[in-house]
Amino acid sequence: MAVDVLTPRARSRVDRLERIWAEPPGIVGWLTTVDHKRIALLYFFTTLAFFGAGGVEALLIRTQLAGPNGKTLSPETYNQVMTMHGVTMIFLFIIPMTIGAFGNYLVPLMIGARDMAFPRMNALSYWLFLASGLFIYVGLFIGQGPNAGWFDYVPLALKRYDPGMGIDFYALGLILNGLSSTAGATNFIATIFKGRAPGMSLNRMPLFCFAMLAVSFALIFALPALTIDCVFLELQRRVGFHFFDVAHGGDPILWQHLFWIFGHPEVYIIVLPAFGIATSIIPTFAKRKMVAFPLVALAELLVAFIGFGVWAHHMFATGLPTTTLIFFAAASMMVVIPSTIQVFAWTLTVIMGRAEFRAPLLFIGGFITFFVIGGLSGIMFAAIPFDQATTDTYFVVAHFHFIIFGAAVFPVLGGMYYWFPKVTGRLYHEGLAKASFWLTFLGTSLTFFPMHIVGLLGMTRRVYTYPSNLGWEAYNLSETVGAFILAAGLVLILVNLVHSRFRGPPAGPDPFYGGTLEWTTSSPPPEYNFPVIPTVTSAYPNWDREDREADRRRLDQGLLVLDRGHETPASTVRDGILDEILDMPSGSPWPIVLAVSVSLVFVMLLTTHYLLAAAFVGLTTVSLAAWHWQEPQER
Amino acid sequence: MTERSVPRSVEATTAASAARIARERVARPNGWWGMAVFVAAEATLFGTIFGAYFYLRFHDLHWPPPGVEEPKVVAPLILTGVLVLTSVPVQLALFSARRARLGAARLALIVALVVQAGYFAMQIHLYLDDLHHFSPQGSAYGSIYFTMLGAHQAHVLVGILLDLWLLVRLASGLTTYRLTALQATTFYWHFVNVLAVLVVAAQLSPRL
Repeated sequence: MAVDVLTPRARSRVDRLERIWAEPPGIVGWLTTVDHKRIALLYFFTTLAFFGAGGVEALLIRTQLAGPNGKTLSPETYNQVMTMHGVTMIFLFIIPMTIGAFGNYLVPLMIGARDMAFPRMNALSYWLFLASGLFIYVGLFIGQGPNAGWFDYVPLALKRYDPGMGIDFYALGLILNGLSSTAGATNFIATIFKGRAPGMSLNRMPLFCFAMLAVSFALIFALPALTIDCVFLELQRRVGFHFFDVAHGGDPILWQHLFWIFGHPEVYIIVLPAFGIATSIIPTFAKRKMVAFPLVALAELLVAFIGFGVWAHHMFATGLPTTTLIFFAAASMMVVIPSTIQVFAWTLTVIMGRAEFRAPLLFIGGFITFFVIGGLSGIMFAAIPFDQATTDTYFVVAHFHFIIFGAAVFPVLGGMYYWFPKVTGRLYHEGLAKASFWLTFLGTSLTFFPMHIVGLLGMTRRVYTYPSNLGWEAYNLSETVGAFILAAGLVLILVNLVHSRFRGPPAGPDPFYGGTLEWTTSSPPPEYNFPVIPTVTSAYPNWDREDREADRRRLDQGLLVLDRGHETPASTVRDGILDEILDMPSGSPWPIVLAVSVSLVFVMLLTTHYLLAAAFVGLTTVSLAAWHWQEPQER
Repeated sequence: MTERSVPRSVEATTAASAARIARERVARPNGWWGMAVFVAAEATLFGTIFGAYFYLRFHDLHWPPPGVEEPKVVAPLILTGVLVLTSVPVQLALFSARRARLGAARLALIVALVVQAGYFAMQIHLYLDDLHHFSPQGSAYGSIYFTMLGAHQAHVLVGILLDLWLLVRLASGLTTYRLTALQATTFYWHFVNVLAVLVVAAQLSPRL
């Protein structure tokens, strides 16, 4: 509920909440914050910086490949830039952007909670993420960046063939990044299960939260495989263990299995939050509830689940037994079913509603277009002979950029516009926003579509240059031109948002008449999110005017205001029945101390100071004890 | 449903009221869910290690390789049995704490801690003994053998540290926070004990 007209009694309750939830001002406030909205903003600006870095790397790659025999980058630098582009966009941009920034900001607001289930762990996962990003980038800046591609196949990544420190930056950095993601995913699952407002049973939970739940489970079950893989790799590179070399009983294919057991669910981890954003934007602008709401919720969970059974389709060309290939080809075909359910639900909702094509919905239109194109080329790869013919060509690059850029980033861009008024309290410029859509749409198509053709013509991925007589020049030049148009579109979005942040007209609490709970509170939301914990009776609670009036009356009566401390409700897992009122921790310096200590463990491991690494493990343990020493009730 | 009918953690000022809140809530506390999800991640981690163990085993003709003796059977089995039994005092500690019987909870925790520490010391002894006989750098068998056992013992050590921390905190009384911590630690130990059985099964599998 937006706090506009208040009775004196209600006013005094709101003032009391303001006092209880206030965080220290200035830099100290940001370093010790446990407010999910501030942490989300930290995530947002950090991932945006990494997006910029990854984008510059992409433009460098495209400049190098614009014409034959390019000389912009040396082969050594090209390998590092190409690897870092992949690592950055996947681990340092899209996942922390969708989960860390969008998820963190929106999930507690959408479920009517005042914070995440573990506010301090939330801060910890941000600081660990920041540390992992800086850690990996230090490698690039000292000229020892990861250089074996983002999936880092052995034996190329073994010490004998790659003696520098690049692979160590990669492996240790990704373990650190995995710690951050595991902490984040644990937090989301506990928050979504336990933190929902009274009355929000699972079937009334917003589809965005279903997507975040599916993603969190996928992360929990996928990341350990990558972590173990990187541990094995480091043990082999540093201490001389044998996991991946045939001479001592190891097997290089083991790396690929473990990597893709993580890596394929990872693809769905990347696109599922985008689905969640789409299912938030579409009902608002189509002015109706999502078609087939329960089916879409199930499809989101099913995509995450099936994602664990398809990893070997990345390995069709490695010489696995035919039976294995056929199993994985069939499993890969199955992904079509939940994906199609969602595509039809999205488009039907738009068709059956009274669609108003403002910028966020335009971006969703772009998303659906690219998702269908990328999905159709994805089905082709499930056909084993086709996959074996096109493996490691630009056809693959085209396919996964349509998914990872077209389908995953477009909803993020649309979501930036959509929730901009909520976060800043101001409106963006609609005309510029529409122009930026057409520019990015054109840029994306021009960059990635010709890659299909040039891939079928035989251009292999990861090459740093190519000779002039192969008929690839026109396509590559168009890709480069497209990349710069795309970059211009992205810059236009940034200009629009930065300008509107300071000059945009006031937005009010609910400029688009959205259906979910974040639109019931003021823009930007106060530290405590809601003056009264909302009571929910449907999946689109903001469209239930009577319920919101009832919330307003409760503020007068002092019901569900929860102002005796940092209080937030806890509910039963399935039915969302109010079960307990929790007193949550407030700002704490320990998350950042712990993150620094853990990062120093990794720095010491990287520089082979193993005793110092052990000492920092000890310091980490001590900080953990200190963290838990002051309990919320002891304030 | 109003806030007056549900437990409220700001009201937990004594051991009795903390225990009452823990009994009155219907769903499990956030801390339990956090531990459950963490355990799911850890189980996957060990699943991956077991997967790698058997993947490597079935790619090799000789497992263990020539020159490496087969794993000892008796000592690891007995030790595992002893560790699994500590699930009983750990659960007893939680049972007592939920009824605000703090002395009984501490005693059960101390019993568990002593046995677990003894187990850990014996396991380290066996680990060092193995290192004298064959090396992780000698073969894929040695690599995965020592990685798997090392990972498991690290988990036992973490559990011991959790016990110690709980004992220190319980010395100054019971709060809902500590009770949830005890509940989460209990869950963790049951998981580590199940893991011990699976690890010893994988460790002894060349004998089958």
